[in-house]
Amino acid sequence: MEINVLAFGQVADITAKSSLKFSDVKNTNELNQLLLTIHPELQNINYLIAVNKKIIRENTELHHEDTVALLPPFSGG
Amino acid sequence: MEPAKKHKVFVEGPIDPTFIAGSIEKHNKKYSIGAHSIFLGQVRNDKQGEQEVAAIEYTAYREMAEEKFHEIKEDAFKKFPLICMHIYHSLGVVKTGEISLMVFTSSVHRKDAIDACEEIVERIKKEVPVWGKEILNNENYQWKINS
Repeated sequence: MEINVLAFGQVADITAKSSLKFSDVKNTNELNQLLLTIHPELQNINYLIAVNKKIIRENTELHHEDTVALLPPFSGG
Repeated sequence: MEPAKKHKVFVEGPIDPTFIAGSIEKHNKKYSIGAHSIFLGQVRNDKQGEQEVAAIEYTAYREMAEEKFHEIKEDAFKKFPLICMHIYHSLGVVKTGEISLMVFTSSVHRKDAIDACEEIVERIKKEVPVWGKEILNNENYQWKINS
């Protein structure tokens, strides 16, 4: 089971990569905990999580080949 | 009313003023139009201590952003009696004084074009996954915050 993680903006500055892969992560809470362990600096910034392009507000189960995006506050325009 | 087409929104680099003029001209055979409303976002030289913003480099979660733009367009066509609507947003580097966003709405009477244009701009700022990296003149950078 493999999950693609996309990082943008300030989040990508911290992860130093715009695309990461994780395996055997059950849900978004578990993924987030894992990310915070690897990159503790993520604690200092706000970001939303999107699963397959839909922003989620609650813990969400992850499936093989899901794409999870880490979205810091938008600043387009 | 035209259905919202899956039209390309992102352009590489700044939006050229001659392109904007051309967009206006393209409507001159659509005789039912009585009003256009055009919003143009320009990169501003915000100060940061001794430094100021020289350019903004835009990145996006492109697939999600394109879906969001489409949704915003469809919603605006449902809510307002518009004849035409066009949105363009820059990706990559746009220097201070250059245009990075264009929202162009057309309707029979002015209020619909003006109200739709305003709502579309507000929704783009809040809902579309685009990020602006403000590059200062000493080449340091900071992430733009939308007010």
